[in-house]
Amino acid sequence: MAVETTPPPGPDSALAAAGTGEVTATTEAAHGGSESGGLPQFKFEYWGGQIVWLLLIFAVLYTLLATVFVPRLRRILDTRAKTIADAVEQARTVQAEAEVQAAAAKAEVDAARAQARALAGDARTKALADLARSQAAEDERLEAELSKADERIRAMRDAALTNVGDIAMDAASDIVAKLTGVKVTGAEIKSAQGAA
Amino acid sequence: MASPMHQFEIQTVLPLPSVNVPGIGVIDLSITNSIMSMLIAASIVVLFFAITTAKASVVPGRSQLIGEGIFSYIDDLTTGIIGHEGRSFFPFVFTLFTFILAMNMLGLFLAFTSTSQLAVTATLGMMTILLVLVVGFIRNGHNMYKLFVPAGVPWYMLILVTPIELISFLLRPVTLALRLFGNMLGGHVALKVFAGFVVSLGAMAAGGGLGLLGIPGAALSLGGVVALTALEFLVAFLQAFVFAVLTCVYLNDVVNLGHHH
Repeated sequence: MAVETTPPPGPDSALAAAGTGEVTATTEAAHGGSESGGLPQFKFEYWGGQIVWLLLIFAVLYTLLATVFVPRLRRILDTRAKTIADAVEQARTVQAEAEVQAAAAKAEVDAARAQARALAGDARTKALADLARSQAAEDERLEAELSKADERIRAMRDAALTNVGDIAMDAASDIVAKLTGVKVTGAEIKSAQGAA
Repeated sequence: MASPMHQFEIQTVLPLPSVNVPGIGVIDLSITNSIMSMLIAASIVVLFFAITTAKASVVPGRSQLIGEGIFSYIDDLTTGIIGHEGRSFFPFVFTLFTFILAMNMLGLFLAFTSTSQLAVTATLGMMTILLVLVVGFIRNGHNMYKLFVPAGVPWYMLILVTPIELISFLLRPVTLALRLFGNMLGGHVALKVFAGFVVSLGAMAAGGGLGLLGIPGAALSLGGVVALTALEFLVAFLQAFVFAVLTCVYLNDVVNLGHHH
């Protein structure tokens, strides 16, 4: 069943002589009729060449893939995984930092608020104290003025009362002079008053 | 009408000198269509990652996202199954996955699928299991026997369990190879058969008369081809994925031997 020894239909022998490629289709057509039973795979004269070439091709392919393409792809995938991991890690760090800063800012705001509250409280107590003090002072002043006024009123009243006695004396002497035509002195009236 | 098996025929594309290896025999190193597809598949993988990682940046572009998607998919798989030590086996699993996926996918666009060759899948399976053995012996030394003697099993059960474990281990490369091989073979044969129906039924219809009944049959077959092609894309991905998953599982067995079983 050797291919080259079959009584050659023209084109095949020509091609075999030429020993060039692209024979597959032509020879397939040319050899159509010359088949018998049995699997072509069990023609062991072709095994040696296939095994040797397969091992050779496999070795070359393995070497190329193992030394060039696999490391190249592995590097990219590892770099990508590392990049993503780094980015996630960085984001986590930044987030933690932001949280710390936010906490610090919150504490600061709280402190400022407390300070403001304390300041306001102080100011209020101070103002209240001032107010109380000035009120007390004013009260005192008013009290003093009031008592002074009272004093004055009392003095005026006393003076007035004294005057009333004089006026009454004058009036009495006038009345007496009018009624009796007698001039009475103050001393007399006084004594009379005392007698009455 | 070409036989559905014809697509799996090895054709020499570029004749190269044969090498006589003593003890093994003559190895024909000519570039065949199978080797050609392997070369193209490997080139596509290299080209794909060269383009998608050319302007590698932390913020990925569209193409970079696709490359990274495949990378992360297998990376998650290895670390998920093997654990944190999965990283050291990742390049091997990654190469297996991308190479098998490229070969499977290429089979749906080109005339040849390298992974439908038992020689290819068997080599991949043997490579995987040899790696498992080497890693196992380096890491566990004489403790490798624990792989076949599960801890906590009574001795009378071990008489039964150990041979089963041993056989299942020895069958691992076989199942790895046959699963991928069978899926690719079956899928492509089914495609070819349905496509053949389209042609033969169409030819029947072209004859006229009662042969016109062939038209609905041909249409049905064509629909079948379309549906099967979609399915084959799924299978192409799934088988590459399964191969990678099983490689991880087998590596995990020896890397974490006796840790959590």
